[in-house]
Amino acid sequence: MNLSRYGEDGIRILFGDVIDLDVHERVRHFFFFIKSLQREEIIDIIPSFRSCLIYFDLQQTTFERLSSLIMEKMQASSSLPVVPDPFIHEIPVRYGGECGPDMAFVSSHTGLSENEIIDIHTGITYTVFAIGFIPGFPYLGILDQRIQVPRLETPRVQIPEGSVGIAQRQTGIYPFQSPAGWRIIGLTEVSLFNDRKEPYSLLKIGDRVKFVKV
Amino acid sequence: MIEIIHPGWLSCIVDRGRYGYASVGIPPSSALDLYAYKALNLLTGHEEDAPVLEVMGAPFSLKFHEEVLCAITGAKVQATLNEQLIKPWTSFRATAGSLLQIKEVMEGFRFYVGFSGIMTLEKIIGSFTTNIECQFGGYQGRTLACGDLLHFSEWKETDRRSLPEREIPVMHSPHRLRVVEGPEIHYFTDESVKRFVDRESRIIYDVSSKTNRTGIRLEGPPLSFREEVEKSIISEGILPGTVQIPGDGLPIIMLYERTIGGYARIAMVVKADHDRLAHLKPGDYVLFEMVSLEEAEKLWEGKRKSITSLNKTVRRLS
Repeated sequence: MNLSRYGEDGIRILFGDVIDLDVHERVRHFFFFIKSLQREEIIDIIPSFRSCLIYFDLQQTTFERLSSLIMEKMQASSSLPVVPDPFIHEIPVRYGGECGPDMAFVSSHTGLSENEIIDIHTGITYTVFAIGFIPGFPYLGILDQRIQVPRLETPRVQIPEGSVGIAQRQTGIYPFQSPAGWRIIGLTEVSLFNDRKEPYSLLKIGDRVKFVKV
Repeated sequence: MIEIIHPGWLSCIVDRGRYGYASVGIPPSSALDLYAYKALNLLTGHEEDAPVLEVMGAPFSLKFHEEVLCAITGAKVQATLNEQLIKPWTSFRATAGSLLQIKEVMEGFRFYVGFSGIMTLEKIIGSFTTNIECQFGGYQGRTLACGDLLHFSEWKETDRRSLPEREIPVMHSPHRLRVVEGPEIHYFTDESVKRFVDRESRIIYDVSSKTNRTGIRLEGPPLSFREEVEKSIISEGILPGTVQIPGDGLPIIMLYERTIGGYARIAMVVKADHDRLAHLKPGDYVLFEMVSLEEAEKLWEGKRKSITSLNKTVRRLS
């Protein structure tokens, strides 16, 4: 665990340099541990692939005070923090055609047929490594090497809600109609975000996602 | 009730922002100039954070259908009530039927309009503010349009108040932004870092027309990445004011609409200069200046004091 400052009111806690499940598990445990402390001076915490970013209230604490408090609490907790069990979600997807405008590109880039791509994409149970850029968007990994493709050079201005994309070692689902730089291979009707109902996002970090072809 | 007659280039409902759910990607979407926001609330009698209008660009106009106390803060504007000039950063009483017009923005970019009446709006995820991209919060989750009606449910009775001229911040171009080092500053060649912040030879950037509420894009000579590094990072948490450098080498200053970014973070704009970001408009000049974290903290302490003392500096008009 490596703590560093991020501006005046941020603490960046780094757990590794790569995308992998061990680093993710450490991020996830730390995230739920910090949440369980319910500290008022912590305004927000953003977990992602290899780090957690804590945003704290400068009126209530300082970087030094909050960092040493975190270290103390970590050392004092004899057992592992209570971490919620990952939930497994099945997400039905319509692949290709109008639902997946980049399927042809992925096929020509990888030399695989559409059915092979679908088999590979549905063949793995993915882990939610992070949620963000837009509300409820899951960064899912790790994608099978055989269907890893680069992002679009120029992102699309708008794609429909529910679009399923792939890029490099990741796959994800767009919860809103939005701009998108990933290659879109399918579409789901599952709603990933509900601004009226806590916890708002269908997924949380650590959850598992399995895509099913419909 | 008020009626939007002309919404300017873009106007929406904002407040202090949406916090506590960044782990599921929910961004703050707050008012961009929080000093102007706080002053506006005090000028219209709100000790608490009330929803207000954030407007970009003129002309903007609205009609009052009932009497209410109103004020304008933020960018320096030419405003009239029934064709009579009114003083910004000073509350005024608008009677039913009167017309408020902002004809020109003279300095800065975004201005804020608030009322002694509390607008009847629903809090979504703890806030009145609008997430324009995802269409929730604010007024029906969207920017304001001609003909929109905003009702008041409750009034704060208050005297007219004013903020002394000397307390109104400067907002004109060029914008000198102080920054502290970002986690990926070493991704860039020494030469590039020098050109980014060196007082003698730094780049003077232009604010791009592609700037929006998510981020401010800058144009100028691109910065160079070191040969051995990747041009993107493993996506990670970011905070408002983070300066990201995508593959094209041109900076993007992130505002309050993203929780995660995938580009190299060369620097973070100091907290004391965050409100200034609201006033960077296309064509303006921007220069960066590197400061230490200790200096940044001192600058923030000064700024924080000026915000908390607004309670005292906002004066009652007799």
